[in-house]
Amino acid sequence: MRPLGGGRGTGLALVAPALVVLAVVTVFPALWVMWLSLQRRIPIFGISAFEGWGNYLFLAGDPRFWNAAWVTLIFTVVSVLLELALGVLVALALVGQRRGVRTAIALLLLSWALPAVVTGKLFEWLYNPAAGLVNFLLGGARLNWLGDPTLAFPGLVLADVWRTMPFVAILCLARLRGIPAEVYEAARVDGAGPLATLVRITLPLCKQILLIAVLFRTLDALRAFDLMFVLTGGGPAGTTETLTVYAYRSLFQTLHLGLGSAIGVVVFALVMLVAWGYLRALRHEGIAA
Amino acid sequence: MIPGMDCVARAAAACLIALLALTGCADRGPAAGGVTIVFKHAKILGPVDPMPGLLAEFEARHPGVRVKAEALPWNSDEQRQFLVINLEGGNPGFDVMMLDCIWVPEFARAGWLLDLTPALAPGEMEAHFPSAVAPGRYRGRDWALPWFMNVGLLYYRTDLLFKYGLGVPETQAEMVTAIRRVRAGERDPRLEGYLWQGKQYEGLVVNALEGFWAAGTEVLDADGRVFPQPERATAALTFLRGLIDEGLSPGWVTAADEEVTRRAFGQGEAVFLRSWPYAADLFELPESRVRGKVGLAPLPRRDRATPAPGSTGGSHLAVTRATAHREAAVALVRFLAGEPAQRALAETGAVKPSRPALYRDPALVRAFPSLPRIHDLTMAGRPRPVTPAYVMLSTALQPELSAALVGVKTPAVSVAHAQRRLTFLLAGLER
Repeated sequence: MRPLGGGRGTGLALVAPALVVLAVVTVFPALWVMWLSLQRRIPIFGISAFEGWGNYLFLAGDPRFWNAAWVTLIFTVVSVLLELALGVLVALALVGQRRGVRTAIALLLLSWALPAVVTGKLFEWLYNPAAGLVNFLLGGARLNWLGDPTLAFPGLVLADVWRTMPFVAILCLARLRGIPAEVYEAARVDGAGPLATLVRITLPLCKQILLIAVLFRTLDALRAFDLMFVLTGGGPAGTTETLTVYAYRSLFQTLHLGLGSAIGVVVFALVMLVAWGYLRALRHEGIAA
Repeated sequence: MIPGMDCVARAAAACLIALLALTGCADRGPAAGGVTIVFKHAKILGPVDPMPGLLAEFEARHPGVRVKAEALPWNSDEQRQFLVINLEGGNPGFDVMMLDCIWVPEFARAGWLLDLTPALAPGEMEAHFPSAVAPGRYRGRDWALPWFMNVGLLYYRTDLLFKYGLGVPETQAEMVTAIRRVRAGERDPRLEGYLWQGKQYEGLVVNALEGFWAAGTEVLDADGRVFPQPERATAALTFLRGLIDEGLSPGWVTAADEEVTRRAFGQGEAVFLRSWPYAADLFELPESRVRGKVGLAPLPRRDRATPAPGSTGGSHLAVTRATAHREAAVALVRFLAGEPAQRALAETGAVKPSRPALYRDPALVRAFPSLPRIHDLTMAGRPRPVTPAYVMLSTALQPELSAALVGVKTPAVSVAHAQRRLTFLLAGLER
């Protein structure tokens, strides 16, 4: 189809305002953070000097940074995998139901719609060793969920899964409903059992939507901040401190603007790298142009 | 005309009006021949908000001056973020701010605050607690006036101690003995011993500092050395860790902040609690399970010869250096930190004043009988290190202290790591 009136020039002219706005609110701050990350800037002490790669060199030898990087990666991998698995299971369970689906979706949306800060506070009380629901359900156990270095991280992942699994479930459910019944009938005629149907028909048909869901979830998980900040503050002993929490503490608490920006740039690079990897995978699947 | 265009036009008009209203708000120029002071403060909790009345009184006394009070975000981290971003920008959009006392030297060092010293009457600062004046003073100048006051103290269950013939513990050893005796007698698995704040946040640093002081040492000495006596700091952390190991404090204190511990103690689930004065009034509410059974005492000493001061805290009032209305802004700060305003604020019960005289005010004492006790504890209190690098110091300490409490590192190793990190961070920063 020929574009209405005029060629590429008109098109470019029409998107130009949007591009300018994007450049101003996205590209400029991103470049500014990169510039800051090359400086030693501590405004309280009147220190502001260009120092090249100094902040990055410090980070390379900083155990707190490596711990935070490790926590970020494990958190992303574990929470996204769990969300994916549970989300698909919930969608599969819901798609065959006749009654109560609307209620179930409403409940799913509720946990997805709550702000992470609220979820954090909610789980802080759920995990309360003496009065919390979690220990009560475990038969009156006195597990020190957020204060024990081996339990705090699983506790954090659980809260994140509770919060974001519905996103995967609802996307997956929408796709499942779009699969024509004939496909399943054909499979049954060919003698495919439930497992074979799931592995060879349902999942392959959901693959594209799941890839998109995983892309969004991974990028969100890598940048996650509010949930752990409220729930544990990065503790105990830094076992739940992600790169974003460390960046926040460096930027807004210790006011080491250069160092904080350098951590921010690392997160940015990580997110871009992962996004690029996924986009390649998606292109392979023929989703993205 | 395209359907819906009308809607779009209306929406656009609404946006325009909103935008004009916003720019109108941002315009702080003289309004009707006067000046407008923008005052950023956190909301004061309590049954009634005394601020509107106080500000109206100030405006009546200063014709031509209007005060526009604007709320700061809810929690301390967000308040700090808001203030820092706006002050660093150079044109903050407010004239007077409430700030946590630990930020004053930092903001003063950054050049964001107006030096209040020339505006003060001789002896004006002497009317405040010395431990409230100290955090607002940097390089011999006063940068902020004390407003609200806080001090770390020990709450104990009078009924339980009396039942077992125990006195109020003066030392940590006596407290441990008391816990063992009470728990052996009560045989209640839900009754914990000593609650304190061990979550990885500022509150943990406060608890640890109190431990260091009781052990006769500090984090930063007068010469700027970090952990001048590491073995004493180690001993203090070993005591805290030992409380958990021996079941004298529940393991969950390593994730507890003020509210979590206050609630547990308020439910009658502990013999001792380290907290701030705000909890005293909550324990005496009609629906409280520990009403009439709570006493206030100094924190226990490590040995009788070494004082164990509670850490002081609180909020100060300061004027931005960039303000266009210095006189009016300084007048507002002095008015709000003055005795009548602090009395009105203290009447809400939500905050404690920074003026010792008010702790003996008959009407206030009748409403809040714990005031004279809190006065003595505050007098004996000690501020956290007064340095522009305090938040930097605290942020670096938090994970190390937490690691010692949860057993990821031994106390000695965590002190050594904290020492190394702080020495590196503070190197070359002239204080």
